[in-house]
Amino acid sequence: MTQPPVSAPGALQAQAAPYLLDAQALANLAQLDPTGANKLLERVLTTYCSSLARLMEQLAAARRPFQADTVKLVTHTLKSSSASVGALRLAALCSQAEQALRDARLDDLPAILDTLEIEARHVDAAVHQLLVPA
Amino acid sequence: MSLPHAFDADDSPERPKVLLVDDDEVTLMLTEAALRERGFDIVEASSGERALDLLAGWTPDIIVLDAVMPGLDGFATCQALRGLTGFENMPVLMLTGLDDEASITRAYQAGATDFFVKSNQWSLLSGRLRYLLRSSRTRLELERSKSKLARAQDLARMGSFDWRKPLVPPGAGTGFAASAGSLSLAPEALRVFGYGPQDTVTLRQLVRMVPMPERRGMTRVLSGVQTQSTVLAIDVPVNLQDGRSRVLHVEAEPEFNEHGHAVGYTGIVQDVTDRRVAEDRIRHLANFDALTGLPNRRQLIWRTERALDHARRLGHQASMLLIDLDRFKVINDTLGHAAGDELLVEVARRLRSCVRHSDQVMDAALESAGLRSHRSLEAVGRLGGDEFIALLPEVADQDDADRVAGRILESMREPVWVGGQECFVTASVGIAMYPNDGLSVADLMRNADVAMYSVKNTGRNAAAIYSPMLAGRGREKLELESALHKAIERNELVLHYQPKIDVRSARMVGAEALMRWQRGSTLVAPADFIPLAEETGLIVPLSEWALREAARQAKIWSVNFGFADSIAVNLPNRMFERSDLVETIHQSVSAYGVPHRAIQLEITETGLMKDLQNVIPCLHRLTEIGVEISIDDFGTGYSSLAYLTTLPISELKIDRSFVRDLGITPQSSAVVTAIIALARSLGLRVIAEGVENMRQMEVLHRLGCTVMQGFLFSRPIPPDDLELWLQHTVLPRKAPWIVQAGADYIDPPRSTVISLP
Repeated sequence: MTQPPVSAPGALQAQAAPYLLDAQALANLAQLDPTGANKLLERVLTTYCSSLARLMEQLAAARRPFQADTVKLVTHTLKSSSASVGALRLAALCSQAEQALRDARLDDLPAILDTLEIEARHVDAAVHQLLVPA
Repeated sequence: MSLPHAFDADDSPERPKVLLVDDDEVTLMLTEAALRERGFDIVEASSGERALDLLAGWTPDIIVLDAVMPGLDGFATCQALRGLTGFENMPVLMLTGLDDEASITRAYQAGATDFFVKSNQWSLLSGRLRYLLRSSRTRLELERSKSKLARAQDLARMGSFDWRKPLVPPGAGTGFAASAGSLSLAPEALRVFGYGPQDTVTLRQLVRMVPMPERRGMTRVLSGVQTQSTVLAIDVPVNLQDGRSRVLHVEAEPEFNEHGHAVGYTGIVQDVTDRRVAEDRIRHLANFDALTGLPNRRQLIWRTERALDHARRLGHQASMLLIDLDRFKVINDTLGHAAGDELLVEVARRLRSCVRHSDQVMDAALESAGLRSHRSLEAVGRLGGDEFIALLPEVADQDDADRVAGRILESMREPVWVGGQECFVTASVGIAMYPNDGLSVADLMRNADVAMYSVKNTGRNAAAIYSPMLAGRGREKLELESALHKAIERNELVLHYQPKIDVRSARMVGAEALMRWQRGSTLVAPADFIPLAEETGLIVPLSEWALREAARQAKIWSVNFGFADSIAVNLPNRMFERSDLVETIHQSVSAYGVPHRAIQLEITETGLMKDLQNVIPCLHRLTEIGVEISIDDFGTGYSSLAYLTTLPISELKIDRSFVRDLGITPQSSAVVTAIIALARSLGLRVIAEGVENMRQMEVLHRLGCTVMQGFLFSRPIPPDDLELWLQHTVLPRKAPWIVQAGADYIDPPRSTVISLP
């Protein structure tokens, strides 16, 4: 794995809060657009933010009244996209929620989802923070 | 195998087209970027519905489906696209979660080609996609090659089959039919047997399609092949359910398991009926006479060789009968070739009934059917022309052969109806016995031929057994006949000419053409070959040649010394029966630009009277075109005087026998006087032949015959010599007969009365 060049993506990575966004995952992303010519990282993060906002809105709506299918879809989608951008804790929370749903442990779910919502807000802030200087 | 490669190139574009279906925009974006970088072209769809819309108008090389999506999820989308035409075999990769085994199972159930656990390991995904593309292409090629093979097999009426040995303990069953085993036939093979692709058939059913005598042999072959695990290659006749009879070729190789035990057979079955029919037809054409359907010379020789082998081994006698129709050429010449052919067909039919004729000889039967098998060789065959052979592979003695010959002669007794009329045919049969008359086919044929010729010589319509006594004479004659055949084309025939003299004017008033055969250094006289020519029918081409040659000579003489008389050509009466005689003469004189009257025809009195009714129409036509007819040897036959008055003839030729005795016996001069009187009263010219001395000339002259020919004047001589004779003898008026004739020449009234046309 080559060292990312000293450029905008590289700068973003350096400033990311390490416990929110995984540096290795971000480096992998940067690898897909080595020169940064396609502004891939920027576009991905922007898309992730809007997706995250939309999904959190859907999740909030699906909790009261509770809609299992929507919760399941939201956590599933958010799991993979979060993993992609390095929001590994958020991805893990999504996975826990999915598993609880699948195992029909509905009592465990509210606590997981609460944690998930808080983590999502932190991730959103971290991503925004990455995007602002660019 | 260059074609598959061409398709290969088409199927593997530089950048495979991928349809990427995922509801998560982030995943779409990243996956697209990753795959694009790895050489794929990506089209994105954010939902299953959108994907199906896209596929309505576009075909990717591979589809990547996210399993979990809102609306139509990956499973439903996969199921839906498998229902679209053209997407049955499209590679579809389903993306699932790592912890989601249920999804993996569902993915396969929905028709996905493979699954892949979502991750950011892009090179793994790309590798998986390439693998799927390659296997899909291989699968496509296999499908194509399978369908090509199926089509080729269909065209070749061929199909493959597979047979597994039954799972029975050793010794429980032997024999092919007893152990049915399991048989599976490709649809093409089913078609060969007349079944549909859905039909199921057992080996037993197929075996029952083979008719009985062959079925037994086939099952024997099958069990033999199976017990020894050898290759099977066999042609069998079958009767299909729809009643068609076909010949099938079955070829199969044994298959062995890892322990080297034969477990079954795999092979093909092919409908070879057409090929068999063609082969049979070729074999038949090569061995049978096209006109009569009888074995031909080649087949006869083959059969005779087998028969002689057999006779040698078992020490019995065999016999060959050579059958030659008598005067067949006359029928051919007068009724035409079509009638001649009709006659041969009928004769062939009758001859067949005289022996135990077998059309087919089974090679295999000869080997296996025991001592009596050679009987199937017995046959009548056609050697060619009007020659037939009857082969009797086993006879007790000569009497046996004689009896068959008797049956043959008897079978000819009934008239044959051909060309709208009844014909009576007889045959001459020559018999040769093995081993007495020859040990080889060639010897027997030659000696049967000699015996047959001896019959011809002694009056035909009989049979004779060969004896060495016959050989000398017969062979000589055979040689003569074959040499005479070639005489015309080799220009060995010549015409000599004997002048006809009008003694009052001492002038040549015509010439008679006489045929000679220059055979090597010897000059063969007509008496030595004309009878043979008549017998063999060669007289026809010989006569035609003589007419042309005489016309040619008339032209040469007219140029050389103003010859304006006729050359008389002797024709046998059968020539007068030919409808094309007038045309032949017309062509002959036209070819050399001489008038029709340059040719005069001589027919003997005997010949004329023998066939009067058939000859008269021709004589009329000839007279009409200016060709005069002279009756040769007049006085020797039994002319009907009544006919003589009405015949369109111009001249009577007094036979040499009367001339010879002139002045010696009074009877002869009485006959000559009568002939001259007859000629006068009928308005015919009269000419004497064989005049050899002055006495004969004087008497003839006195009796009123002034035109003569004979040695007194000139022998028959070559045309050039005749010119010299005219120059050196006639013109200088040197010969003794001219002095005598000249004395009469001063008698003016007579010279004006008898003036030749």
